[in-house]
Amino acid sequence: MHVYIYDSFVNHKKYNNILARIETRLTDLGLNGKICRLGAMKNIREMVKSELSRGAKTIVAVGNDQTVSQVLNALAQSTDPAPYQKTLNPTPPMGIIPVNGENNSIAAALGIGPGEEACETLSARRVEKLDLGMANDAYFLSTASITNQGTVVTIKNYSVELLEEGEINIINLPPKEMVLPREAIFNPQDGFLDLLIQTKKNKKRLFAGAQEMSQSVFPVTLLSLSNDRGRPLLLDGSLEVRSPAEIKLIKKKLNIIVGKERNF
Amino acid sequence: MFNKEMEKGGLKDVETVIGPSVKVKGDFHGQGNIIVEGIVEGSIKTGNSLYVGDKAKVTANIEAKDARIGGEIVGNVKVKGHLEIAANARIMGDIEAASLAVSRGAILNGNCSMVAEKEQRKS
Repeated sequence: MHVYIYDSFVNHKKYNNILARIETRLTDLGLNGKICRLGAMKNIREMVKSELSRGAKTIVAVGNDQTVSQVLNALAQSTDPAPYQKTLNPTPPMGIIPVNGENNSIAAALGIGPGEEACETLSARRVEKLDLGMANDAYFLSTASITNQGTVVTIKNYSVELLEEGEINIINLPPKEMVLPREAIFNPQDGFLDLLIQTKKNKKRLFAGAQEMSQSVFPVTLLSLSNDRGRPLLLDGSLEVRSPAEIKLIKKKLNIIVGKERNF
Repeated sequence: MFNKEMEKGGLKDVETVIGPSVKVKGDFHGQGNIIVEGIVEGSIKTGNSLYVGDKAKVTANIEAKDARIGGEIVGNVKVKGHLEIAANARIMGDIEAASLAVSRGAILNGNCSMVAEKEQRKS
């Protein structure tokens, strides 16, 4: 059975039409299932856990990146092994239906189109096992980012010192719009997270004030970050985690339904 | 105009890029291709190719399969295959390679020993 988790923002009447079209297409494809709606009084983790115990075979996030992040965390945490278990519990596949065009970079990176296009992707059911990043107790699929001012990065055997102002991203699945070094490889199935450091360097020769971007990439499986100014780490553009944070890779944790046009 | 691939020795599928505004301290060991444009203090070791940019400052012993060296190196360079020393390179240390190309203008203060690839495999 498919379980569709609707984010609270889709209750707005401006989404009535698109939701009606999505629901019709899902019925046509024989994918109709149970609809659960998120709200201030509902605990998503409990919701996902109870649906899994009732035999849900696919959990679908209907909304945007924030919805994906919430559902992903609930799903991954519900299937975390108990301390005495040595193997991971299998995670039922997760699907995504992006509702509005904005703030859906995770779906775009997975090759999932908006609205009814996503229903076709669900129907085709190409399931891939992807790595996940974990910052303290929270999971992320795409990126974890923090400003580099006052941030110290420590990796096993070496440390990285930043000489200019900029941003630090830990990337698992790169968002489609992100500008990345052309020579480097980013893949959510390669068993590594990529630490991407982007700094702005003042270009004095041509135009005053013009800036050029300098990028550094390090493959990592474990690192720690701390920020002495109390800046939080932002996971998948929506979930805040306090620093200091230990970030690690969880290999092949998530089964997810992807589209043909995916990034990897 | 040169494209980036030409500038960086045609390196593709690069695992690590140390950019110009980054300083790495410690033992940096990898298996993939590495590009260094910034500052490294410690050691660099890779089972694949290494590109050291013209403005890089490296105070480290280097080991790689193939390497193109520019910039300032203080330390020994040991390469199993081909070592290319660019015109802007200033190397203060010994070099060891199976094949070598040195551009005019490069500075090398140290011993140079050429070891055939087969001999390296035996040892």
